[in-house]
Amino acid sequence: MEDLRAAAARDPERDAIVARERRVTYGELDRLAGGLAEGLRAADVQRGDRVAVVLPNGVEAAVAIYGILRAGAAFSPLNPTIKHEKLAHVLADSGAAAVICDVERAGVVQDAAADAGGVRVIADIEGHIREGADPPTPPVSVDLAAVIYTSGSTGDPKGVTLTHGNMTFAADSIVEYLQMEESDRVLCVLPLSFDYGLYQLLMTVRVGGTLVLEHGFAFPGRVVQLLESEGITGLPGVPTVFHVLLSLRGLENRALPELRYLSNTGQALPAPTIGAIRRTFPNARLYSMYGLTECKRAAYLPPDQLDARPTSVGLPIPGTEAWVEDENGNVLGPGEVGELMIRGAHVMQGYWNDPEATAERLRPGRWPWERVLATGDLFRTDDDGYLYFVGRRDDLIKSGGEKVVPREIEDVLHAAPGVREAAVVGISDRLLGQAVHAHVSAKPGSTLDVAAVRIYCAERLEDYKVPRQVTVHDELPRTSNGKIDRSALSGRSE
Amino acid sequence: MTEVADDVRQEMRAYIEENFLYLHPGIELRDADQFLTLGIVDSLGFVELVEEVQSRYGVTVEDVDITEENFGSIDAITGYVERKRSSG
Repeated sequence: MEDLRAAAARDPERDAIVARERRVTYGELDRLAGGLAEGLRAADVQRGDRVAVVLPNGVEAAVAIYGILRAGAAFSPLNPTIKHEKLAHVLADSGAAAVICDVERAGVVQDAAADAGGVRVIADIEGHIREGADPPTPPVSVDLAAVIYTSGSTGDPKGVTLTHGNMTFAADSIVEYLQMEESDRVLCVLPLSFDYGLYQLLMTVRVGGTLVLEHGFAFPGRVVQLLESEGITGLPGVPTVFHVLLSLRGLENRALPELRYLSNTGQALPAPTIGAIRRTFPNARLYSMYGLTECKRAAYLPPDQLDARPTSVGLPIPGTEAWVEDENGNVLGPGEVGELMIRGAHVMQGYWNDPEATAERLRPGRWPWERVLATGDLFRTDDDGYLYFVGRRDDLIKSGGEKVVPREIEDVLHAAPGVREAAVVGISDRLLGQAVHAHVSAKPGSTLDVAAVRIYCAERLEDYKVPRQVTVHDELPRTSNGKIDRSALSGRSE
Repeated sequence: MTEVADDVRQEMRAYIEENFLYLHPGIELRDADQFLTLGIVDSLGFVELVEEVQSRYGVTVEDVDITEENFGSIDAITGYVERKRSSG
């Protein structure tokens, strides 16, 4: 990705990243990324190697990502609250040559790196910035750029494998429909470990705009201040972000003349929320979107269609195709429900090291060399071809825009002291869309303490996966064929 | 420090301990410690915290008030509630 270099050549003095007290220009970001690339090569990172990044949103994370790419290596962005076991798995699975973190996370990262066979830990980026030349052989579009880990419906997280070509194609397509340009100033409160957050960085640098990067969305007052003080033009969010913003007192009285677009993905916005967003931000266009890491983004609704089709996620993103098909591969007509299929240069190369899972998602396509993506999600279209999300084939929970797989949490619960059985369901939640609710029963002779169960989970899972509620049952309800009755649990927990 | 501030401080500490801190048994929370840095309150936790402060102390929290300076620590909340109350 030569975008950073190009932006630095055009306007080295322009702000690239604004993160808290730190501002870096394109010239400086380019110099830091080049310096880190040299430092990585000195640390024996080779072209094509994988390098994991465990950092909160900030300048260092941007330097790490562009430094890794400049070195010809591929990055794996990981949630900064990742725990030992999962990090060790990801490092081992990706065969990481190194992992970049900060001092706060060095302890956890070092332990996991040791368990993964002695992966090199770089806990001080600054100390690895070297003066140096460019790599002798820069990567080309078919080279590996990133392995992004995402939870699957079963088993361990899988690495979505993306080339430079995949990522630049997806970035260009999204830039096109959002009409992003150099004058854009995007506020990113989403973690860079989440592909939605990551692409804010990639797209903003691609157009040479400015990315205002926040640690998260903890303090919405700070976000409101930034919208005004930084003249933000674009605000990507998930439903939780918009629900919290709309709950704030005084926001509707702010003019925010620069704010020209808002975007939503991760989960659908309820129709009343769409109305409230448009009243609160009358000058901004709202984009409803749908996607999955395996192709980055699949569809977007042109804002002028919002009144006519408020619940649609729209049309395939520019330069791609999408259709709905039945279990036998027949293309379905308007109104018929089937699986959404995607084709285009944004479709991943597969799951890292996992041909079986890859074969489930990537199917033979129109041409001998082509593979199309089976999303696993159920959709229908209307008479004009606009797409509507109907449901998931699996029991995935979407909480705060993040994907939560019940199985992963249930595995942790089953290992918790005193737990006999566990079932995890999503319950509707005002702010999160869905909240994680765990139902457990105790082993004979044990009693379960709800707080202890949550603590056990908090020590082993990323924050957003920790059940917000735990209910202890004598016995979990069962269906007539003896399986745990999830729909009864979902109903009971309302 | 006023007696009122002392009450706020103790009540907020009890609230934080009861609702957030128990998930992190290893952490010793001091009044000046930042919730976010320690990772004990996440973004939804702050929404709950703000709602608690509004209902418990009857103060009106404006959009731009929800910042680290006002809600980031026990010290911060205590100061914020005291300022809001004295300004009527």
